[in-house]
Amino acid sequence: MNSAPARHLRRRYRRRLIQLAFVGPVIVYVVVMFAYPLVFGVSMSLEAFTFSSLATGFAKWVGLANYRTVFDNPATWTAIVNTVIYTAITLFFQFGLGLAIASFFNRRFPLSRTLRTLILIPWLLPLIATGTIFRLLFAGNGGLVNRLLTDLHIIHSPIFWLDSRVSGMAAIIIVSIWAGLPFNTILLYAGLQDVPREIQEAAMVDGANAWQRFRKVTLPLIRPVAAIVLMLGLIYTVKTFDIVILLTNGGPGNATQLLATDAYTQVFSNLQFAGGAAIGNILLLFCAIISVIYIWSIRRSERQA
Amino acid sequence: MSTVAVARPAGAKGHRPAVSRARHTLRSWLLLVAGLAIIVVVLFPVYYAVIVSLEPSSTILAVAPGVIPHQVTFANFHAAWSNEVKNITASLLVSLGVVILTLLIATPAAHGLARFRFKGMSIVIFALLVTQMVPGISLSIAFYVTFNKLHLLNGYPGLVLADSTYAVPFAVLVLRAYMSSLPGSIFEAAEIDGCGHGRAFLRIALPMALPGIITAGLFAFLFAWGDFLFALTLNSSGSVQPLTLGLYKFVTAFGSNWGPMMATVVLAAIPSGIVLAVAQRWISGGLQAGALKG
Repeated sequence: MNSAPARHLRRRYRRRLIQLAFVGPVIVYVVVMFAYPLVFGVSMSLEAFTFSSLATGFAKWVGLANYRTVFDNPATWTAIVNTVIYTAITLFFQFGLGLAIASFFNRRFPLSRTLRTLILIPWLLPLIATGTIFRLLFAGNGGLVNRLLTDLHIIHSPIFWLDSRVSGMAAIIIVSIWAGLPFNTILLYAGLQDVPREIQEAAMVDGANAWQRFRKVTLPLIRPVAAIVLMLGLIYTVKTFDIVILLTNGGPGNATQLLATDAYTQVFSNLQFAGGAAIGNILLLFCAIISVIYIWSIRRSERQA
Repeated sequence: MSTVAVARPAGAKGHRPAVSRARHTLRSWLLLVAGLAIIVVVLFPVYYAVIVSLEPSSTILAVAPGVIPHQVTFANFHAAWSNEVKNITASLLVSLGVVILTLLIATPAAHGLARFRFKGMSIVIFALLVTQMVPGISLSIAFYVTFNKLHLLNGYPGLVLADSTYAVPFAVLVLRAYMSSLPGSIFEAAEIDGCGHGRAFLRIALPMALPGIITAGLFAFLFAWGDFLFALTLNSSGSVQPLTLGLYKFVTAFGSNWGPMMATVVLAAIPSGIVLAVAQRWISGGLQAGALKG
């Protein structure tokens, strides 16, 4: 019975079991907490899932009818347009400012480490706290932004920032840029640190000026990191929720809704479970497309490295 | 050895002419001033919140804000504390629950993913990377319906479970990176000495990875502490109200009671300050491990 092959098999089986004991829980976790909810959300969006379905657990299959309703609603299109514009502008400034600050700190000077650490603060704050601070800064009456603009004679009467679509979106974008700046700065700084100093010095010896060195030497070398930072920024930005709820709650009307807040409003304010799930899935599709590009770009940069 | 004898290149430190050295110091001082200016501009909103939290309510917004508060009072903090002490307790309980759950799942998983080679491992890591891209709102709609059935709404276990989704994948990836950097020879030696996998994990991996575990735990705490989405959607009765939800309700109910509001903001920011002070060395590395390496 205790032949060598049997013992070998048993030992292999035992090793499998040990591995499963370590990694099994996280696999179960991912299935229960991520895979199941996502599948559930998709099936919800294909059913006539209503408030009463909550209690009965029963809903009729309706195919893509919910998606048709959602796309017939102009509010959904407002949310989609807002999300695209908001994400593009936020990302542009987060990345641009982050790269500028990272390049600045990519030099040796006293206290630079401490200052670099302090720049993390906006990223570590709870977003609701950040939003509250900016509500104070953007306050219509006596807010610092209005006071500054009045003192500089740019405006003559206070702007009620959060009460219209354009200025409300502007405020949301400014807060998002501020909150995401540290993330961009720190990761881009790490990328810049990996650029060998000798190459920079060689370019300097060859007579390249600072801009040429940046364009022709630094930028190509940090491209893989830059691509990853942009993709991650894109994913984090496209699902923004907290800032909008706190600053404008998607209003006035639905003028400043993003996809995430629109899905929330549909489900939790209007009790349109199926419609909200459908909007959530549209956002999910956005994220999935970005993720595929992201993972593809990581794979590519790894193959190059 | 011959390498020791290699001559220093000309112009290395110590041979710099005095003029160049003076220019060098001037340059680094100018850089410091510019760096300070950047930090002052970026952090101004936080500074302003602190000033307002310390000013008596009557002077806020009536007078132009100064660089230092006109008058210092802790009245706003008294008000904020008595308003929010219940919510702060709720936030602490939820966040500690998330830390425990996260570390219980993530630490063995990270050890397994760092030490073993098995089929499907890359799929697990890939899945963990992908989960971080799932929008919370998609999860929360499904959680709401499922938790409703399982009676997990309006309670601590449900919120801890939901909040852990921010932390578990991140913690596994960060800890795996940390544990992969531990020397493998120690584990091989332990195995030769007859030390089993469980003992090797408890006696060798855990103590050696302690800094990584603490960092992952701090981040799990911070993610849960900052959660607003799940607190808002999974607690319609308000029986478990974390500080973020309390602050939101305060903001929407008393829109211009700025003093106590900013004091609440400062209270909400305390864990962020602690993480910055304790774990600053690990933040950058952790960010990269969680985000960049798959």
